[in-house]
Amino acid sequence: MLRRFAKEKTAVFGLAVIVFFALVAVFAPLLTPYDPLAQDIPNGLAPPSAEHWLGTDKLGRDIFSRMLYGARISLGAGLGVVLMAGLVGTSVGIVAGYVGGWLDEALMRITDIFFAFPSLILAMAIAGALGPSLQNALIAVSVVTWPVYARLIRGQVIVLRDREFVQAARAVGVGHTQILFRHLFPNTLSPLLVQASFEMGTVILAVAGLSFIGFGAQPPIPEWGVMISEGRNYITTHWWLTFFPAMAMLFAVAGFNLVGDGLRDVLDPRLRR
Amino acid sequence: MTAFILRRLGGLVFVIFGVSLLTFFLAQLVPADPVAAALGSNARDAQIEAYRLQLGLDQPVAVQYGIYMSRLVRGDLGNSIRTRRAVIDDLRDYLPATIELTMAAMIVTILLGIPLGIIAALNRNTWIDAGARILALIGGAMPIFYVGLVLLGVFYRQLQWLPGPGRLDSTVPPPAHITGLYTVDALLTGNWPVLANASAHLVLPAITLGLFSTAVLLRMTRSSMLEMLGQDYVRTAKAKGLSERLVIGRHVFKNALPPILTIIGILFGSLLSGAVLTETIFNWPGIGRYATTSVTTLDYPAVMGVALVAAVIYPLVNTLVDIGYSVIDPRVRAN
Amino acid sequence: MTQKRSSTLWRWTALLVLVAMVLSACAAPAAAPSAPAAGGEEAAAPAGDEITRDNTLVFAADMTDIITLDPAVAYEFGGILPVGNMYETLASFDPGNPEIVPLLAESWDIADAGDMWTMTFKLNPAATFSSGNPVTADDVVFSWNRAMEINKSPAWLLIDVCQMTKETIVAVDAGTVELKIPKAVSPNVCLAVLTFTVAAVVEQAALEPNMGDDMGESWLNDNSVGSGPYVLNGWERSSTVTLDANPAYWGGTAPAMKRVILQNMPESANRQAAIETGDADIVQELGPEQAAALEGNPDVSLVKGLSTLLAYASVNATMPPFDNADARQALRYAINYDNIITLLGGNGELVQEIIPIGFAGHVGNNPFTQDLEKAKELFANAGVTEGAVIPFTVATGTGPGGVDWATIAASIQADLAQIGITLDIQLLQQSELLTKYRAQELPMLLMNWGPDYTDPDANGTPFANYEANSLAWRNSWNDPQAIELSKQAAVELDPATRIELYAQLVEYMQNNGPFAMLYQPSRVYALRNNVQGFIYDPGDTPNVSFALISK
Repeated sequence: MLRRFAKEKTAVFGLAVIVFFALVAVFAPLLTPYDPLAQDIPNGLAPPSAEHWLGTDKLGRDIFSRMLYGARISLGAGLGVVLMAGLVGTSVGIVAGYVGGWLDEALMRITDIFFAFPSLILAMAIAGALGPSLQNALIAVSVVTWPVYARLIRGQVIVLRDREFVQAARAVGVGHTQILFRHLFPNTLSPLLVQASFEMGTVILAVAGLSFIGFGAQPPIPEWGVMISEGRNYITTHWWLTFFPAMAMLFAVAGFNLVGDGLRDVLDPRLRR
Repeated sequence: MTAFILRRLGGLVFVIFGVSLLTFFLAQLVPADPVAAALGSNARDAQIEAYRLQLGLDQPVAVQYGIYMSRLVRGDLGNSIRTRRAVIDDLRDYLPATIELTMAAMIVTILLGIPLGIIAALNRNTWIDAGARILALIGGAMPIFYVGLVLLGVFYRQLQWLPGPGRLDSTVPPPAHITGLYTVDALLTGNWPVLANASAHLVLPAITLGLFSTAVLLRMTRSSMLEMLGQDYVRTAKAKGLSERLVIGRHVFKNALPPILTIIGILFGSLLSGAVLTETIFNWPGIGRYATTSVTTLDYPAVMGVALVAAVIYPLVNTLVDIGYSVIDPRVRAN
Repeated sequence: MTQKRSSTLWRWTALLVLVAMVLSACAAPAAAPSAPAAGGEEAAAPAGDEITRDNTLVFAADMTDIITLDPAVAYEFGGILPVGNMYETLASFDPGNPEIVPLLAESWDIADAGDMWTMTFKLNPAATFSSGNPVTADDVVFSWNRAMEINKSPAWLLIDVCQMTKETIVAVDAGTVELKIPKAVSPNVCLAVLTFTVAAVVEQAALEPNMGDDMGESWLNDNSVGSGPYVLNGWERSSTVTLDANPAYWGGTAPAMKRVILQNMPESANRQAAIETGDADIVQELGPEQAAALEGNPDVSLVKGLSTLLAYASVNATMPPFDNADARQALRYAINYDNIITLLGGNGELVQEIIPIGFAGHVGNNPFTQDLEKAKELFANAGVTEGAVIPFTVATGTGPGGVDWATIAASIQADLAQIGITLDIQLLQQSELLTKYRAQELPMLLMNWGPDYTDPDANGTPFANYEANSLAWRNSWNDPQAIELSKQAAVELDPATRIELYAQLVEYMQNNGPFAMLYQPSRVYALRNNVQGFIYDPGDTPNVSFALISK
């Protein structure tokens, strides 16, 4: 399987990008020449130079350092939301698919309600109600995205539960819990992984979008969306404030999307695009 | 057929009910006092108390929900705390701008996404295909708020090829109000200068907003086409000597269409989401910006109104797509 | 009853129409062009000159805060600007001069009536409304009573500051209004209040038939009944307010600009582009870098004017560590004021007192520069040691002067970090911040204050007088000496003595108060070069008089 993935050139490229960002995120303190919060006000808005590779912002903070730390926040946010929403969504999906009947119906109607909202509007309403902060933005995006996993997994479980190996297991008296965790859940992992990989990109964009309009990470946190928002008034005069964080986002999100494509092609040949 | 439609519409009613409950619940989460916020820093306690009573905020939550629902069935979305108008009046002012923008973005999406997807599929693994896929990759990964800022900077401020933010030049009065969509109203009243101005103002925001969905549609069209092109009957048809153009036109695209239609319905939701960011950057007086300002000022009756309308429109569009789809393809009804 | 039913029906229809528009997508001529949905468009171009781009003024500003065009209700910058150009008050500040001059009243007289002051206003017989009818004493009484009865945000100026009641306003004859105010109120302060839009005169005969059930509040959002140089053409909610010249304006020649379009433009980068391209003739409020970028532009000139706002950091005087006067003083010595002024990039002046530049009573003494040793020592005296963590609440968004609040806060945070004290910045939406501030819940915050009328009392009382339930109270700073001084200064009639009293108050506050006063921001306007006669007067209502402008 790995070998097949390795054949997907673009996916490998995507993976390389992600690994790069992951390493940057983990080792940010070692890689950054400056503290991302350290100010040097008289030296504010300096263009890229040997001293500050990507220039400085209004408060004289080093953009390169802030961008590297931003990888921590964006990747961490993506991971956090995907885990939170994935956990809830998968649990709901498994229960709905396996138990079926009215419970399934009820749970799916609930997901319908969440699907009815354009995601950013709901996320904004939640984040605003809870009070703007990175943590609340992550909660908001999780609340908005869990139904995606619930529907996906439910569909998988419904197909699987009528399969022979599950029927056989049930026939020999294997308990429900065991069937769920031994037989059903492992078989949903492939589509889950594909979905999670795409969601990473979506979540990074959503969190940055929320931050941009003020409902996500708050300054001075060096989140990419916040950096673009702080730099928006300088876009015509000091382009480097916004350009570099935007490029970082482009590469990170594209990386996850490429990996998602590759994983889907490998894990689920039926959906080959 | 009727049964199918009724079932879908029934589901829609349930969704709307759930949506109202969820938005109401959200409004209860707001920690700060919206009334004090609305009245500003010099309001006196008596003023605040009077306004609170007027809004029914002294009642228990369940009663408040009852009042809210009973108003809702009468088509009353309550009053905005900030603008002090009926939320439905605010929405009547702001929604057409969003619909116009979303529609324009949808047109961009369809005009770019489908042809590029087909061309890419027909030229699989050539540089054309590669170019289309890179475009899709970038479009799907670029933060649209940055795209909007850059497009404005380049095409409005630097080159001055296209007009700036807003729906019309400040000096151009809006056309007579019929639908509220300026381009449509200008067209209906034969007001050509306004039509030209409104259309020019739509270009940059529509491209900004449509970029992401174009990327998605391009990918979807490409893969759907590739799947069909690989099918046996296509090969057979070609072998029978039918011209390539005819095969693609009659068989391949027609069969590739259903998933494309479905994705267009779904993309509508992502456009409504993206409108929030696009409207902020392009100074577009739509419900996205209204929602942002309302959330900022904790004007939750207004937020509930926007959420409710958005959450009605989106599934409604999808329901209609499904119904339309089931008319074309009866097999769907079975599911 | 019928009306109620039909309104419900209308609402449903409206809702359905909203939805139907989605469905009918773009090309749906099905919606017949017969239904005149929103209130009939008035072909409002006034007789005479034709409206062209040359006699139209496009003024772009962030007017997101606008909620009303009713003078009795308007209390936001976005609303006061158009309202102030459509309606007039009895007296007014001469644009550019800190002096109260006649407007609708040609003269007034203040007399001592024992336990009260009697203010008698003689109306100018030439004054007419845009309808052509004369402005009468009955209109004045009606307008003030209406503002007090509506009792919205600005009404406190009449009710609390002037202590007006229905009984104390009398129309003596058609051209004379008499107002009685208690001795505890300074007649000069009341006169200053009467220049504000809340005291503007509306035409009773034109408004009364349209009052509906909200005293005409909503009707005035689409119609104007004033005597000013402009009349309302229309308000496109959230985008533009369009004013047309009042062709029959009584006060001298008709305005040169036949139409003024107030364009709401919240993003300052967009405002910069709008003035560069010439889409706007005037833009209001630019950040320092944007102003700098425009400086070399041959088509654009900049007008930078000091506002009357004062930005400050304040601390709650009952919460540790700032319940100690030494700690409060330490804070003032810890701040690097130079950095803040650098951040403002010329969009503000260092002001370390509670009375702004341009007001009587402003002293102009800035005693504090950053002295970390002294700050450390004072903090130590107050028992504050390294490692202390203090929550610091700051508003989101851009502060006055065009620099984000969070940026100023971050700079103060870095200052205190140098002496081992951590400021934990908490960003809140401004409205939410104010709510908590009013509830005395914030240990430390960053904010600004704008005087409600052009008189030092508009700052003296809120900053110093705990009993006034304003800033001193919000910071739980109850200081008898400051209260006494502010009260004395407020009612003192001799100008020189009054200035002396304010100087004492300023100095006392500097060393004992809960405020670290930071700066007085400037407001930057950019004008196309052909715009003439533009004056920004922060003390006047409105700040910008369109009637003075020509191109």
